[in-house]
Amino acid sequence: MKTKGKEQGRIFIAAFGIVLLLMAATFYYLQGQERVLRIGIFAGSNWEVPQGNSYAVMDAAVEAFKKDHPQIHVEYVSGIKKEDYAEWLAEQVMGGREPDVFFVLSDDFNLYASMGALMDLSDFIAEDGDFQPEHYYGTALDYGKYEGKSYALPCESVPTLMFVNKSLLAREGIPMPGNDWTWQDFLDICRRVTKDMDGDGVLDQFGCYDYTWKQAAVTNGINLFREDGRISYFADNRMEEAVRFMMELRGVQRGREITAKDFDMGRVAFRPFSFAEYRTYKPYPWSIKKYMNFEWDCIKLPAGPSGSNTSELDSLLVGMSARTRMPSIAWDFMKKLCYDSEIQTLVLQKSQGLPVRRDILLSAKGQDIFHQVTEGGGNMDINAISEVMDGAAMPPKFKGYHGAMLYADTELTKVINGTIPFNNALNKLQKEVNARLQF
Amino acid sequence: MAMHNLLWGYNSLVVLLLSGFMCITQTKINQSMSARSFLEQIPALPLPAMESFLVTLFALAMMLALGWIYRHSEHIRAQWRLLVFLAEVGACVLLMRSINLSYDGVVLLVVADLMHRYGGKHQEYLLVAAMLGLYFISNYNLAVFQMKVVPFEAYISYYDSVSQAALLATRNVFVSVNIALFVIYMVLLVKGKHEEKERIRLLNEQLGEANERLRVYAIEAERMAETRERNRLAREIHDTLGHALTGIVAGLDACMVTIDAAPDFTKKQLAKIRETAQRGMTDVRRSVKKLRPADLERLPFREALTRMTEEFAASSGMKIHFTVVGWPDSLREDQEEVIYRVVQEGITNANRHGRAKNVNLTIGSSEGKLRIIIADDGTGCEDVKQGFGLRHMRERLELLHGSLHFWNDAGFIVEAEIPMNQEEIV
Repeated sequence: MKTKGKEQGRIFIAAFGIVLLLMAATFYYLQGQERVLRIGIFAGSNWEVPQGNSYAVMDAAVEAFKKDHPQIHVEYVSGIKKEDYAEWLAEQVMGGREPDVFFVLSDDFNLYASMGALMDLSDFIAEDGDFQPEHYYGTALDYGKYEGKSYALPCESVPTLMFVNKSLLAREGIPMPGNDWTWQDFLDICRRVTKDMDGDGVLDQFGCYDYTWKQAAVTNGINLFREDGRISYFADNRMEEAVRFMMELRGVQRGREITAKDFDMGRVAFRPFSFAEYRTYKPYPWSIKKYMNFEWDCIKLPAGPSGSNTSELDSLLVGMSARTRMPSIAWDFMKKLCYDSEIQTLVLQKSQGLPVRRDILLSAKGQDIFHQVTEGGGNMDINAISEVMDGAAMPPKFKGYHGAMLYADTELTKVINGTIPFNNALNKLQKEVNARLQF
Repeated sequence: MAMHNLLWGYNSLVVLLLSGFMCITQTKINQSMSARSFLEQIPALPLPAMESFLVTLFALAMMLALGWIYRHSEHIRAQWRLLVFLAEVGACVLLMRSINLSYDGVVLLVVADLMHRYGGKHQEYLLVAAMLGLYFISNYNLAVFQMKVVPFEAYISYYDSVSQAALLATRNVFVSVNIALFVIYMVLLVKGKHEEKERIRLLNEQLGEANERLRVYAIEAERMAETRERNRLAREIHDTLGHALTGIVAGLDACMVTIDAAPDFTKKQLAKIRETAQRGMTDVRRSVKKLRPADLERLPFREALTRMTEEFAASSGMKIHFTVVGWPDSLREDQEEVIYRVVQEGITNANRHGRAKNVNLTIGSSEGKLRIIIADDGTGCEDVKQGFGLRHMRERLELLHGSLHFWNDAGFIVEAEIPMNQEEIV
């Protein structure tokens, strides 16, 4: 009987040894493999504008990275369209093959951060001496945070600006509004320019196109949702101000629906544009193709009575997989893409967005490039843009945000159009939205 | 045993089926371009399909192996066995985690192993504690990992509503059948253990009877030895003393006839008769000497006494505490023998009649008296009937003008007194 016990012990030790050997072999095998850093990236611009060479910044970042890490092979799949990217990434995640570093769409960010697919970057940020988070525009950096922890770095950002038809204002003898203009100035100009030019009894010149209640809300300083996305604040007084303003603005056009064609024909004074759109359409050849019959420029959005001349700041995020085998190398690459001064300068040069580092945008070189790429930009002032980015509001990114906004938009449009009475509509809307947010 | 294998086989099958189902569903989801909306529904990152199946396989193999080792761990030290058991619990947690907590029947496997191995007194309590503990672990698992696993329902929701109902029903049947199997297993196990206990009880009874018979036989044998000794004694007396006395009587008769006629001859005859008497006495002494215990012959008296008590203690299992409070300067042979016999009889009685565990034997001398106290912690005796032993003791002591007292206290106490240096006092 005793020998049986001994035999068992021996088998036990043998099994243990085999397991150890296997582990060592696996480790050795993984060590010997060529190290590949995989990047997830989509083709085209994040900002819904055409972009010539969408991989220019990425390729430059890869080149620069390879100089520091010659033993690492960087690879990405090219040609994934932005609209397919979410599904592609989800499939990669499901299969455990997600890239080490990848672009995170705004809609995906909360999902991946909450399920633990994204690496918490707080420790990297805290421990990396070369990395100074205060160089970033605060709103851009905060955009990559979930429940107070950084899960992604911004790579480029886009604020919203007001597009002004300079020719139209000149024709009406109205001076260009300054960057500190208000809703009242905006409304006054709209009233003055809205008229029937050819005398056929139909209005054919308008104040503004595509100005939404969302922009009014942001410029009146409202946060529509609590950070966790469980409660909305539609019944806020400032929201009421915004809706009343929208109703007045709507009243100016006296029931006539304004179209994009009206704007393209040069018959509309104002249209809000994201900076990416501005960048895309301003320089040759787009401006020739699209807006050849009038001169235009961009200024800040008008400020509401309780807000400021600000906008939402949309940022493109880059995250690291929580399951990456080489987190520190992935971090180095993220730093190269999102923090390195040369690459960030290149963002200004090649991409439609703006660099996320304040010091890069405001540097002498940055200003030079800015003026080159926005050539003929009138009084478009880089400091004004930097100010907008500094004080920008961060768009919420919780799950269900889009659904809630879609619902609110339908309801508010009815209110603004006068289909339903205003008196208690906001309280009702807030209740409805809150009920939806509970799921 | 067969039931145990069935339980294990069934659970392995269920676990593999569930894991396989989840893997296949995950692959299907990926192929049907609905990965993004699937991710929306789940709170945690799913493992890749193949990987999660392999983890399940590994955890199951670990559990099987550890369970086998645990069940066959007669020769392993208790600490190691505990370690193996804890490792099995760990493997169980890993397994449940790898199948996304969609099936907790494997917990019962661990309980079954524990029950199989442990057959001690507090089995019922242990069973209850183990069940509670393991269900606590699985619920804790549920509470802690709930937010971190992909719920089974998320996989099911990929299919249409008819299949969903069928799949849920299938899983519930799996769980129910497992519980039924477990209950049957436990009933069989408890029954088996009960039968074994009954068998042991019967064996114990038989052993008790055999012991009793042996005791009776021992008493019988002792009595026979006594009788044999008595016969020997009678023979000895007859052979030596009888022979001498007969010679003396015959010689004296002759002397009575011749004393007047031939006084000188008679004197010579008387000298011869005296010689015969002398020889008789020597023979008697020799006989008496033969009766003395061998140790008394060989060893100094105190050592012989110690040795006798030690040997008795060793053979009977009774503890004897021998204390001496003052030892007399000199003892005669007959005194030594009486003391020896009294002590021997006293501790034998304590063992035989009192069934004592401890005996305190104290010998002390003071004021010309030697006192022997034998106190045991046995059952004592309510109504002391003087048996052969006690009477014998008393008789022996009375020969030396000593006395014997006995009474019940916390056991039975015998006190004997012997006056010392009697001749000098008298």
